[in-house]
Amino acid sequence: MLEILGTFAGNALSLPGILGLGFGMMTRQLYLAGVIGGLVGILESLIFSGFHLAEIGTLELTLSVLVGIVAGMIGCMIRRKGATV
Amino acid sequence: MNNPQDNRNRYRRIWDWFWRPTTQFSVGFTLISGFLIGILFWGGFHWTIEASNTEDFCVSCHSMETNLGEYRQTVHYYNHSGVRAVCSDCHVPKEWQHKIKAKAIAVKDVFYELIGSIDTTEKYEARRIDMAKIVWKKMRANDSRECRNCHAFEYMDFTIQEPRASSEHQRGIDEGLTCIDCHQGVAHKLPSNWLEEYEKLKNPVSASNFGSLWMMALANKPAHESDVVGSLEK
Repeated sequence: MLEILGTFAGNALSLPGILGLGFGMMTRQLYLAGVIGGLVGILESLIFSGFHLAEIGTLELTLSVLVGIVAGMIGCMIRRKGATV
Repeated sequence: MNNPQDNRNRYRRIWDWFWRPTTQFSVGFTLISGFLIGILFWGGFHWTIEASNTEDFCVSCHSMETNLGEYRQTVHYYNHSGVRAVCSDCHVPKEWQHKIKAKAIAVKDVFYELIGSIDTTEKYEARRIDMAKIVWKKMRANDSRECRNCHAFEYMDFTIQEPRASSEHQRGIDEGLTCIDCHQGVAHKLPSNWLEEYEKLKNPVSASNFGSLWMMALANKPAHESDVVGSLEK
């Protein structure tokens, strides 16, 4: 459980959380924001594993994609609520 | 006395103000000020993380006094070169993603400190093996990553090491061992049943036969594959 919470927090304060939120704020399409956030999650796992697929853990990848999707969607909602364009 | 309705209205006004489009500030002003505030927040966050990596911070909890006393008697605290490894060098990863994960998990330490899980010597000793096993398990999983921040086989000159150290390090390379497989208790005392517990962690299946293998090691007899198989068959 601690492992999952720690990985979740690590991702929220890393690329999926920050960049996912930022990219999500660039669109009003909720699904697109989620997809972009998820891609950031995959990208982060690849970067931090040094582009060695074998070194990517299932838990890390799943959580980073999940955090990316959620962050992207939150970013999108911020865009919808806080922008007129 | 505050009326709940007034409070709700106040929060509503703050919420509406937060999402109201700016009319006084230009886009440039908003971007530049957001950028500067971002730097301040990020710098402050990073500073806080680094502050929590200092030895003073780690040992500021009462229950860490035992740890500190043991660590001060080891080569990682006091040695011929004067280079030290503090708590965070061994217990906090350097890489951002692992570091933040470790920090998030460490919140549990604050909780256990508050409820006094290891605030007496008796409690500490009772839990010593459990705490050690958590660290061993983690280090085995990450190939002793924190050890390797300073120590690496690639940069070891085996010719100037003691014969036993160089042969064991060569064996470590050949058998794909990780630092913690041999170097348990380099900074803290080991519990009495550590060897048995470590072997259970390492190889749960053959743990019951470990006694005979350990006797071979004590007798300076190399544990070749045939010896191991023979021992397991017995």
